[in-house]
Amino acid sequence: MTRSKANSKKHRGVDFKKIRRKIGKKLPPPKNATNTEIKSKAIVLPEQSVAADKAGLAVNKKGLTLKELLQQTSHHNAKVRRDALVGIKDLFNKFPTEMKLHKYAAIEKLRERIGDDDKVVRKTLYDLFKSVILPGCKEDNQELIVSLLMAYIFNAMTHFSFDIRIMAFDFLDLVLLFYPPSFASFAEKIFQNYEDILRKNQYFSQDRGKLKDALAGLIRCLSLLPWNKGETNLVNKNENGRILLHAFHDDMPRSPNGFSHIIKKLRDIAPLLINSFLEFTPSITAMASIEGKSFGCMLSILHGIDLIIRSFVYGADKDSESPSMEGEPNGAMWDVKISSILLKKLFPLFPLSPAHHLSEKDNNRLVDLNMAVAKIFFELNEWICLPPDLLEKFLEFMEHALLGQVCEGARSDNAVSEKRLIQLLPFIPKFVSRGASYWTTRLLQAFTYIFRESKPGSLLKLACLSAIEDMLTPIQAMLSLETSNPENLKLQESLMAWIAELPLLLIQLGDNHPACSEVALRLQLHIGQRAFSNSSLACMYDDIQDKLQNFYCTCQGEEGKKCCGSFVRLPRECQELSLCCLYYLSHLDLPILKSIACCCLSPELDPSVLFRIIEILHSAYREGHIKIADHLSIFITLVLHFKVSPEGSSGLKSDIFCQTIKSMTTLLCSYMAQIGGNYLVLNIIEKVIIDHILLKPPLDNSCCLLRMIVTVDSKPTRLSEQSIITLGTYLSQYLIDAAQCLPEDYDEQCKSSTQLTTVHYYLLPCFFLFDRCHKLLNLVLKTMGSAVAESSLWPISDNCTRHPNNWLVRVNAVASVLLLINKDPKMQQIMSSCKEGVDSIIQNVSSLQSSEKISMTIEERHKIKCRYDRLKILLR
Amino acid sequence: MEVVVASSSVDAGIGCWDLHTGAEQLRHKSCSSPPHGLISVGGRFLASSHLSPLSSGGSVLFWSWSKPQVGVRCFPAETIKPLSANHPGTYIAGGGVSGGIYLWEVETGRLLKKWNAHYRAVTCLVFSEDDSLLISGSEDGSVRVWSLFMIFDDLRSQEATHLYEHSFTGHALRVTDVVIGYGCSNAIIVSASEDRTCKVWSLSTGALLRNIVFPAIIDAIVLDPAEHVFYAGSRDGKIFIVALHTESLVTSNDGMHIVGSFSNHSKSVTCLAYGISGNLLISGSEDGMIRVWNARTHNIVRMFKYAKGPVSNICVVRPEIDSTSHILQSSSRKQGSDLPPPLEKYANSVEDSDAKTPIVLCGAKRCAKVSYLSSHAISSHVKELQRHGSAAASELEMEKLKDDYQKSMQMVNQWKKMYENLHQFCVKELLDGGQASVSDENNK
Repeated sequence: MTRSKANSKKHRGVDFKKIRRKIGKKLPPPKNATNTEIKSKAIVLPEQSVAADKAGLAVNKKGLTLKELLQQTSHHNAKVRRDALVGIKDLFNKFPTEMKLHKYAAIEKLRERIGDDDKVVRKTLYDLFKSVILPGCKEDNQELIVSLLMAYIFNAMTHFSFDIRIMAFDFLDLVLLFYPPSFASFAEKIFQNYEDILRKNQYFSQDRGKLKDALAGLIRCLSLLPWNKGETNLVNKNENGRILLHAFHDDMPRSPNGFSHIIKKLRDIAPLLINSFLEFTPSITAMASIEGKSFGCMLSILHGIDLIIRSFVYGADKDSESPSMEGEPNGAMWDVKISSILLKKLFPLFPLSPAHHLSEKDNNRLVDLNMAVAKIFFELNEWICLPPDLLEKFLEFMEHALLGQVCEGARSDNAVSEKRLIQLLPFIPKFVSRGASYWTTRLLQAFTYIFRESKPGSLLKLACLSAIEDMLTPIQAMLSLETSNPENLKLQESLMAWIAELPLLLIQLGDNHPACSEVALRLQLHIGQRAFSNSSLACMYDDIQDKLQNFYCTCQGEEGKKCCGSFVRLPRECQELSLCCLYYLSHLDLPILKSIACCCLSPELDPSVLFRIIEILHSAYREGHIKIADHLSIFITLVLHFKVSPEGSSGLKSDIFCQTIKSMTTLLCSYMAQIGGNYLVLNIIEKVIIDHILLKPPLDNSCCLLRMIVTVDSKPTRLSEQSIITLGTYLSQYLIDAAQCLPEDYDEQCKSSTQLTTVHYYLLPCFFLFDRCHKLLNLVLKTMGSAVAESSLWPISDNCTRHPNNWLVRVNAVASVLLLINKDPKMQQIMSSCKEGVDSIIQNVSSLQSSEKISMTIEERHKIKCRYDRLKILLR
Repeated sequence: MEVVVASSSVDAGIGCWDLHTGAEQLRHKSCSSPPHGLISVGGRFLASSHLSPLSSGGSVLFWSWSKPQVGVRCFPAETIKPLSANHPGTYIAGGGVSGGIYLWEVETGRLLKKWNAHYRAVTCLVFSEDDSLLISGSEDGSVRVWSLFMIFDDLRSQEATHLYEHSFTGHALRVTDVVIGYGCSNAIIVSASEDRTCKVWSLSTGALLRNIVFPAIIDAIVLDPAEHVFYAGSRDGKIFIVALHTESLVTSNDGMHIVGSFSNHSKSVTCLAYGISGNLLISGSEDGMIRVWNARTHNIVRMFKYAKGPVSNICVVRPEIDSTSHILQSSSRKQGSDLPPPLEKYANSVEDSDAKTPIVLCGAKRCAKVSYLSSHAISSHVKELQRHGSAAASELEMEKLKDDYQKSMQMVNQWKKMYENLHQFCVKELLDGGQASVSDENNK
């Protein structure tokens, strides 16, 4: 067209000169032309491959860059899109820095795929976000990322295609998991979307599975509401070590003030859920069996209602606490509306009972539904008072459930029924706290039954224990008010039953369920803390000590062989708790003290626990819970029977046990000093200790006994004449035994040897005794002197049977004892006052040396000579 | 003058020493007080709970600063162990062995309130910095915070399920000591217990902030005035330093948060106090010695020999002793001292509606009878108002008002006149001046 026009113009134009040009002839170049020719000798290509231009760039397996991949994500072919997503994942995995740099751009592009038509693509995208992108952005500006995604998620939620909607909820889940605080800002919109989707129930009538998916998402969102996740907060509370004391606390996410509008939204959802539940009910009553999917739907519907009701209760609580400033008068009306819907529609259906006989499995399912309805009912009952006849129906159901009479043949399925009961148990304390009545008695009886019957260590047991814990305060308050009420008597009975059950439970648990033991012990401790003198609770609490005996120590067989109870093997916290329980017993009797002592003597017990036991016993004594005689006899028992060399390692002392007994004695002595009235204490322990010392316990134990005497004795001694004589004979043997710990060729030069310090440790209490009573020293020296003289007559002594020439050893030991005593400056003075005793010993040694009765080798004779000489030099 | 006051649980009297000179003051006789049983009431006199070994019941004794003998003996309904007085010394709170807390008014000795606070005996009582809260620790291991507003608000306390503001139930054994920090509603509370732990609680949220495990039982704690650390005296004779500000640090072998320890006690540390002036830490020990430490260097500055028995209480007080008291004493009331009447045993059920409300001014040296009869004043005001309300009074008022009105109208007229005069004068002046200046220009 244009050409023809141009031609016609040419024809018309006379003014234009027609220029003819010859073909093939070049025009001469204009004069001002620039030469654009480039000349080079050679063309050099740095590389010749196809990927050359991507050198240094991050590429995935297929050699595509991020930019190309992102472009491909919007390709019209679903397969290409999917491949691109897979490629991105691969790329990001290989080059994390690439993601860091381009994450916002990538997310901005990728979010378009949330509403993708192809299921596989969406799935891949979900995968990509879940495994790579979101975890990689943890430290960044999470809010920005969430807001980038959220718009597209909401968009997808209103998509025409149902699948995309459901998938959008999945994405939502992912985002909430990634950054939970974001829920607060989007909650209203999220619930609005759920409401919309639930309204379209024509979709669901065909596909129960999809409804189930949607409901699952709703329930997840509901449980994200701050008041519905109380349990998780409790766990975090234990992590209190890292809190800064005076730091600024950001309390924004904690304050749920922003959620009041959400409660309004929930009010709209509740009737929808109830209606959809009602749609199912005819199928149950009519059909012979319950279809799995619809059962699942019903259960999740009920769960959803439950969570919503809980939110209402929470909202109501908050309103009552602070008169709301928003002041919405119709709020209460709405709540009434919902409760009336529940009352009219849901609760009359209860209990759901089949028209036909159902199989066992279906029966179980039905029970599940009933339980869920009951839970909703009790939840609502906390909030508003429901009609009493209805309440009675539900209470009866609860009682049956507790007694296990709900499902006849289904006893086998314990785990399931347990799970159901655990949900109902928390409502018992709430009901009880409203005051005693006919029904509390019945319920508590059923509760006691289930508490007894449940397996030790099971979750049900734990739930029972926490329920008892909750009931303590109301029951105690009721009991303290009036005692004439017959219901109160029942209350007391059940309380007594629980308290009596606790020690049995502890023994049953053994060391297999430390967590459960801990809960039980904590409960026991709390009961103990409340049990003040002469109240009925205190009597009940004191009764447990008989049963607790076996917890610390069990007697086995007729000969009374003692064996450690489960206490020893429990973790440290449990041990601590159980010891604290002992402190609150108003009187600790001898049997339990015996079993505790037996437990203390066990070699398995950690020394720190041993010291803690003694400490707590002493605290209990200071409170007057233990008689002084019992208290001291425990001390003596511990010292006397503590095995320094436990069985198995015969004869060989282990340093750990030695150290333990030493520090234990130090502790005991300091406590004995704290008791006050040393003379009195000495009076009590003197006879016992002297009696036991005569039985010649091992060296370490005797030393500790002596230390105890020394602690409470004074200068001059208060020991009786009789015991001094007994001690005199005993101590000589004790000193000789102690000195034998030294090596035979003991030398003055090695002053800091370990043996020397041990021997000195053994000797020290004797020094104190000698210092306080010179007569005792005289006696000891005399006995030693005669021992030396008689040593030739007793060829074999008790303690040194291993040595063939034991008399030599004995003389040697006596000599070193004298030397050691002489080394101490204070003892030196006292020694000088008992010259004749020392002299007689030396005399005896010299006579022994010269006696011909015993045959001696020259070497032996020389040794004795040496000793004799040294004694002489030192003592002169 | 800063005085260290110490008592023991076995009868050894109350020892007083000047903290800065070390001079021993008067030793007050016959006092055997359990831990937390010795207080100074507003610096005016000493009060202590007394457990006599012979009789089963306990009593509360008062001493004036100037006399060694017991001034006043009170016999409460049950044995009182811990005592606490608010800072001006107007009220005394006492914890009973059955778990009740008693609150007396010092000036009249009236028992204002008694309430069941704990399941078991109360072991320690502390008033908060602003005296509005009372914190109690008990043998049952709980620490409870009581608001005095709540305690005296009959209506609210009937409605409420519990009287306490917070109940901290973290301790497994008896609570041995409780201290509260500064910062009013946002303060921290530190409690020590026989379960070998100290716990730090938040007063505002009621949450457990910290749990510090020690290698021995802690019997006494004291906060550093700046709240950087607190000191904990243990039964093994050590004084542990525990950091409050730092985040969890393990700097020593003793455990988390424990920064260090120092010890010169062979026996257990039973009580701790902080000097009012100077950075001094004072510790009492089971061996009857009182040691004054430099809190920075942990060196002993001074030592007071108290007695053989264990020291159970230490207070640092600025006593209000004035020289005039000796002169006045001869003329003073029946007991011949400046002590208030004994604390009553039971609360009076019939309360006088026009009860006097005694107010003790902190600055007043002699605060014997400073009482404001506020209710009288109010009732007279009411009467006056009622009189005003009568018809005659209103007529009188009207007359008066009319009179006033006329007067003010006259005044207004006068003002108006004056204003007009002034206005005319001014206008005239201006015009004249204008003409003058014009004529001046013309002349030029």
